[in-house]
Amino acid sequence: MSSDSSVAVITLSGELDVGRADEVARALELPSHGTPVLLDLSEVSYADSTVISALFGFSEKATEAKTRIAILIVKPQLVRLLEYAGLGEAFPVFRERSTALTYLHSHE
Amino acid sequence: MSDGVAELRVTRAASRANVRPMRHALRFFLEALDLAPETIDDVLTAVGEVLANAVEHAYVDGAAGSVELYAHAAGSSMLEIDVKDSGTYIERSARAGRGFGLRIARAIARSVDIDRSGGTHVHLSFDIDQRRRHIRAVK
Repeated sequence: MSSDSSVAVITLSGELDVGRADEVARALELPSHGTPVLLDLSEVSYADSTVISALFGFSEKATEAKTRIAILIVKPQLVRLLEYAGLGEAFPVFRERSTALTYLHSHE
Repeated sequence: MSDGVAELRVTRAASRANVRPMRHALRFFLEALDLAPETIDDVLTAVGEVLANAVEHAYVDGAAGSVELYAHAAGSSMLEIDVKDSGTYIERSARAGRGFGLRIARAIARSVDIDRSGGTHVHLSFDIDQRRRHIRAVK
């Protein structure tokens, strides 16, 4: 996880399938102090429902910790994955980094 | 997609780490069929979910069995894929975040049939639109 003064960034890349489930779970950690989190999946080339499960857990923790999160997804297949699962509106997904950051900052 | 018949058969030990190479083999097979990139991604997504479920049962039963992936394309519009293993298809609990695999596969494939007698055999059928090399009627 990296962070500047205002946003913590978690970056995952490559193919996120069940073989990397443990790694994904470990990566989705909230920063302390309620810093907003950008989950950067722009370099993810493939994902299965392992990631969906991890996103549910991460999203729940963020809500409990009153931490705002934004998920950056670029590859259309990942957007379709969420839609096929009936979760097109379930998570705060953004297709561009600038709009994701605007969203994360807008609550301050 | 050309006329004729193309087949792929891959068998691996049922482990999480083996899902990726099986998926990659399927990707090469689908690319050789000259399918559109979006269609290839959709098929890999659907089959990837079934493969992930197949390797998960192996741990429930203790000794890891094997998983077989068989893909069969004939003519210009038919693609059938089978995933077989010796475990028991797990219906995921209703706990939030689980159980999306089958829903995703059914949203992409024309049909997903599961035979649970003697292990688990999942059969997926895909309609391929010959002209546009896309999956027809994605729901």
